[in-house]
Amino acid sequence: MNKQTPLIQIKNLDLHFGAFHALKNVSVDFHAGELVGLVGDNGAGKTTLIRVLCGIHTPSAGEVYFDGTRVKTFHPKLAIDQGIETIQQSVGLCDNLSIARNFYLGREPVKRFCGLPLLDFAKMREMSGRVIRQFGLRENVSVDDEVERLSGGERQSVKIGRAVEFKNRVVIMDEPTNHLSVREREHVNELALQLRDQGLLVIYITHDIFQVHRLADRIVIMENGEKIEDASTETMSAEALEEVIRQGGRIVEKRDAV
Amino acid sequence: MFFPTSLSRGAGFGAVVGVALMLSVFTVIDFDGWWTVQTVTNVLHFASILGLIAMGQALVIMSKEIDLSVGSVYGLAGIAFITLQPGLGVPGAIVAALLISALIGFLQAMAVLKGALPSMIVTLGGLFTVRGIIYVWTGGSVRAFPEEARSHWITRMLGGEFLGLEASLFWLLVLLAILSVLLWRTKFGNHLLAAGGDLDSAKSQGVQTDRTKTIAFVICSLLAGFAGIVTLADRPQTHVTLGELLELEAIAAAVIGGCLLSGGRGSLLGAVLGALIVVSFRYELIALGAPSSWFMTFVGIVLIIAVIFNQKLARAAGHSL
Amino acid sequence: MLKSEIKRLVRRHTEIGILVISLCLVLLFTLTSEGRWANAYNIGTILQVTATLGLMTLGVALVIGTGEIDISVGSTFGIGALIYLWFAVRIDPVFAALLAIGAGALIGAFNGILVTRTKTPSLIITLGSLMIFRGLAIALTDGFSFSVPYKERDGFSYSVLGGTEFLGINTGFYWLVAGLAVLLIALKMTPWGNRLLAVGGSAASAHSRGVRVERIKLSAFIVCGVLAAFAGTLEASKLGFADGSMGRLMELQAIAACVLGGCVLAGGRISLPGAVLGAFVLSSVQSYLVVTGVRPQWFIFLLGLIVVFAALGDRTLRRWSLKN
Repeated sequence: MNKQTPLIQIKNLDLHFGAFHALKNVSVDFHAGELVGLVGDNGAGKTTLIRVLCGIHTPSAGEVYFDGTRVKTFHPKLAIDQGIETIQQSVGLCDNLSIARNFYLGREPVKRFCGLPLLDFAKMREMSGRVIRQFGLRENVSVDDEVERLSGGERQSVKIGRAVEFKNRVVIMDEPTNHLSVREREHVNELALQLRDQGLLVIYITHDIFQVHRLADRIVIMENGEKIEDASTETMSAEALEEVIRQGGRIVEKRDAV
Repeated sequence: MFFPTSLSRGAGFGAVVGVALMLSVFTVIDFDGWWTVQTVTNVLHFASILGLIAMGQALVIMSKEIDLSVGSVYGLAGIAFITLQPGLGVPGAIVAALLISALIGFLQAMAVLKGALPSMIVTLGGLFTVRGIIYVWTGGSVRAFPEEARSHWITRMLGGEFLGLEASLFWLLVLLAILSVLLWRTKFGNHLLAAGGDLDSAKSQGVQTDRTKTIAFVICSLLAGFAGIVTLADRPQTHVTLGELLELEAIAAAVIGGCLLSGGRGSLLGAVLGALIVVSFRYELIALGAPSSWFMTFVGIVLIIAVIFNQKLARAAGHSL
Repeated sequence: MLKSEIKRLVRRHTEIGILVISLCLVLLFTLTSEGRWANAYNIGTILQVTATLGLMTLGVALVIGTGEIDISVGSTFGIGALIYLWFAVRIDPVFAALLAIGAGALIGAFNGILVTRTKTPSLIITLGSLMIFRGLAIALTDGFSFSVPYKERDGFSYSVLGGTEFLGINTGFYWLVAGLAVLLIALKMTPWGNRLLAVGGSAASAHSRGVRVERIKLSAFIVCGVLAAFAGTLEASKLGFADGSMGRLMELQAIAACVLGGCVLAGGRISLPGAVLGAFVLSSVQSYLVVTGVRPQWFIFLLGLIVVFAALGDRTLRRWSLKN
């Protein structure tokens, strides 16, 4: 296990949506150069947890540390500026904008023209085009086309391409292989490993324990807004972990009690 | 019976508080001007008319649409009632005016649902088109009722007085009762709220959402038309601007009464109370001798405060918005 | 091949529809009015009306682009006109115009802050401010109208602000052209424009990319208020007087022009040239009815039908262009 200070440290995190208690006293550490699988059933709180990390939700209680510093304000802009890139399932692309415009949304490159900060279209087209081609976009799709016309896999490619391109420290992937073909899925998983080998922290969210067990160094299991397991993939087999999920944490409590 | 049911659902709560607050303030600052027979009668009469329109608007808003054309429909129905009376007689003119209103509602619903267009655009178009028909039809001239139509028993029933109060108030109460039953106690009502609250879920459960919304639009136009007829039965003289800007007052009343534009929630009683608030402001300002235009400013302020208040209330109740 | 090229063109340029419509109407009006419509004087009048309505429409289009709506612009227009005339006579037209614009910015900020802070539907908030400022305008003028004496209408700054004509066209029109150019660049070529459209396309996605959704919306409301008040200024300059009812129903015309111009009310897809063309079509139709002696009452009737059929046509065209 990694001994240095964790890149992301979450302490006793609580989150309420009105009457709904979405996260209950969650504490977990993430280290650089690690690929962590975040596993749990639908509604377990995985997506909510990472939405705190990427600044969409502000926690009701608890602390989040990034690189040793306490995070006080939560906003996607700050998270992105810190180098936390998130590939989310449902959000991230605006249907009405072109691929190039989506690629740089929020951090558009500008070129000064007569003192006016205008978009640097040449750069936007060139970069996004080059990156996205690697991720299997049809040849007849141009970076000027609206995202609306892309397939599910192609949309995912744009998001992953975007995450890879900008020099990030953390890449969070929320169900990255949904709606993808088998080959695209392999490709995405390979990319996740590549990112880890480059020294990035990769948090990989899925409900498929077997898929992520092959990739991850560590598995964190969530259930009902709580963390119920946090184990290295070396010490626990996929089958054992699946049993934990099936038992919904009871097995862990039993083991702890012993 | 309807009162507690709709109140317990929360949506009309703000309006009840609003009315209580408003009445006490008016009583304190201007007791003599406010509590006169003249003011109270006028307020009740015009609040009833606006209440009729606001109830229809509330139904449409609950189905997550909006109807901007009610002011024009109100005007057209009233003008049709007066203009067609010489040819069709009083009952015939009423039926014709209501049919025209229903037809407008139906056409707008078709454009919204079959054309998959936002109701705001369609009914904005309806607002213009119907107002245009009014201008073209009347040519800007003023028409009035002949004496025998004015004394016809139906006219008197619609626009006269009953038990010393304007008949419009009784019509409002009857329709409020009927519509409340329709909304809270029938399958249609359930479908309407479902279509407004979560369209896809309603569809997946086999609710014919298009038909439900169409009915809501038709009821809304019918109520606006009926309100126009009631107005002119009482004061039978037409003018082309009849009902102009009334759509704003009706939406304001419905929103003050707790209808959320996010659909699926609202209160008919609240809409009626909202209408009472809007109309009371107008008459209190007149009683205070303020220029009548301040009325609009006040309604605007009340509208904004009410919508924010109701939104907060709904959030506090744990509704997701 | 040609067909797919056309589809691509239509997809990228929502204003194609309105462009075709405008050209057809211009042709039709020219051919059927025996020179009464297509003459320099009449075209000048149309362009003057287009200038004020168009500036207002540009602002509304931006707000629609963020997925909100501003129906208070008619009142902002009126307030702008009144403030301008009041101060133009007493102090100086330029100063007065700046004050009017400032008031417009304040009204826009009022709308924008309420909408973004309370997360209330903008339709209701701006409906409220429509009534608030209309009531204020009528109350402030107290039924009177403000006017500028004729001798003061020749000043340079007064003329530049829509008070006179230049090359046969009211100076207001040049302001519209300038406004369109500036906003077009801002919308299409700056980060602000990219984010504005992103917010309208999917506020959640834009937010997740670090876009400050609320600031963008607020800025759109402010620009809208500024443009509406400035349009009021130009109109007041042109007429030389203003009363409390100025700008009545203009909010509806501005929304109609946006819809005509291919702006999608759900947000994210707007066309500024389209919106201006929409304003041009509306003022052309109005003028055509006048010069051919049709009762002007028909205009409002046609306006309604135009709005609905424009929306319908626009949707059909877009669906067609998306089909492979």
